[in-house]
Amino acid sequence: MNTDTPIIETRGICKAFGERQAVADLDLEVPSGSAFGFLGHNGAGKTTLIRMLLGLTQPTAGTMRLCGRPVPEERATVLQRVGAVVEEPHFHGHLTGRENLDVVAAVRGPEARGRIDGALRRVGLHDRAGDRVRTYSQGMRQRLGIARCLLADPELLILDEPMNGLDPAGILELRTMIGELTGEGRTVFLSSHLLDEVEKTCDAAAVIDRGRLIAQGPIATLLAHERQELDVGCEHAPRALDVLAGDPAVFDAHETGDGVRVTLAVADGAAAVNARLVGAGIAVFRLEPVRESLEQRFLEVTTRIGAAQS
Amino acid sequence: MKLAIARQMLGAELLKLRRNRTTMVVSLLLSVGVVVLVYGFKAIQHASNPVQYGPAGGLGGYSDGVRALGVFFGQLVAALIGTEAGTADIGSGVFRDLVATGRSRLSLFWVRLPGAILITWAFSLAGLALATVASFIFSGGLATPSVSLILESAGWIMLCTSVVAALAVGVGSLTGSRGATLTAVIGWQTVATQLLLHTQSLGSARDWLLTASFGQLMPVGGELAGISMATGIAIAVLLAWTVVPAAVGSWRTVTSDA
Repeated sequence: MNTDTPIIETRGICKAFGERQAVADLDLEVPSGSAFGFLGHNGAGKTTLIRMLLGLTQPTAGTMRLCGRPVPEERATVLQRVGAVVEEPHFHGHLTGRENLDVVAAVRGPEARGRIDGALRRVGLHDRAGDRVRTYSQGMRQRLGIARCLLADPELLILDEPMNGLDPAGILELRTMIGELTGEGRTVFLSSHLLDEVEKTCDAAAVIDRGRLIAQGPIATLLAHERQELDVGCEHAPRALDVLAGDPAVFDAHETGDGVRVTLAVADGAAAVNARLVGAGIAVFRLEPVRESLEQRFLEVTTRIGAAQS
Repeated sequence: MKLAIARQMLGAELLKLRRNRTTMVVSLLLSVGVVVLVYGFKAIQHASNPVQYGPAGGLGGYSDGVRALGVFFGQLVAALIGTEAGTADIGSGVFRDLVATGRSRLSLFWVRLPGAILITWAFSLAGLALATVASFIFSGGLATPSVSLILESAGWIMLCTSVVAALAVGVGSLTGSRGATLTAVIGWQTVATQLLLHTQSLGSARDWLLTASFGQLMPVGGELAGISMATGIAIAVLLAWTVVPAAVGSWRTVTSDA
């Protein structure tokens, strides 16, 4: 597959359950080789889209392509190189971890059998592979779910809320593993409502709310605000506001605890603000761009949409 | 589907079933355990009072054993294992992950049938083997079953248990519920069928009951259902009871949301 071709591409995808529209007219493009976050509140439509991509349920309308091929038409071929954990990973509790992988490897084909040991080692379950899965913790099940994905030697891993049930150490391990997987040229499509995790783990993301896609792109782009804000740590905040009042580089400014927060009217206006304040004899001891978290951005956008709809 | 993958999938199906300790232990008790119990009890009775109680083995004892395995205990084993095969993936939630591999849902369904039937055969034939040995050991000088009768009995038990296993796989795949399937299949075969067989007013409609067809094809003596029908009809009825539940189960497997 050409690396320029999106590994996941949907056009006008809809899914309705009776009167309820779970996914509405969704156009999504996931670049190949990235860690891509699929963000949304619980019930926003994330899992429904994943289920449609994997052929677990049929869309009401629209077209989808996985790895450059149309699905569901070519799903049998496409899914040979796709590993997925949908919602929480399920296993046969009476079988051991290795036997559970054996069951899936049998369905995938002979090559998958040869990957079982490597997959178990990679997720750190090799020593517990002979234990029945019913004795596993939630975190171990999550890891076994990822091992099951790796049996496909996947180009694309689809992980639905993979951080659920993991302790902080487990989350860190998973984040590292996702980094390694994308480093190998694989794409990881990760759905989550943990915005902070997506920000730390992913290169790009899409935000879905009430079944509709409301933003997508690189994390940095999603975080970029129309106007950049700057926290200026300085003496004499009221005087600083007076000095900046007529500055063409400044759109707005207000006092904060240890200085002023400036909304810039032009890109790269920080140097001009600094020069203006220093020139007026105001000591500047800190200049820091205000970095909006993905969580703030997400809440801001979804709240705006919610308000518009109500 | 390639033969190698089909064999792997069948191996995985057998693994899932034979590692289910509860199902295996109950199946063993219902096949081998019951034979040991019945022949042991009859042998003790005969030893304690040979005038009143005949030998446990011989042709008569063998026929009783074959009938019990083919029509009752073997069917319970078949229902148990067929239900497990039909519902295990759905009940555990693993079915979704298997579908997500891209393998066709139809092949995921069809592999359940040989898996269930092979394990069922293992238990019912073990029970028959034990019953045969016991018939010779405890014959007490009575006639013993011939080789051809033993082979015919084995074939008949395999047929009876296969049909019920297929029925249970089909119903299990349809409902996805172990409890509902066991209740429906065992309830139908052991309770409802017996009531219907004895309802004379149903006339030839009773030919459509599985047990009536099993009785028609039974190789050993004794009455099973008290209904006589052409062998061709009996075979057609068995085919219908195999094909229809399998078709319904496969339809459900293919069309349901995973």
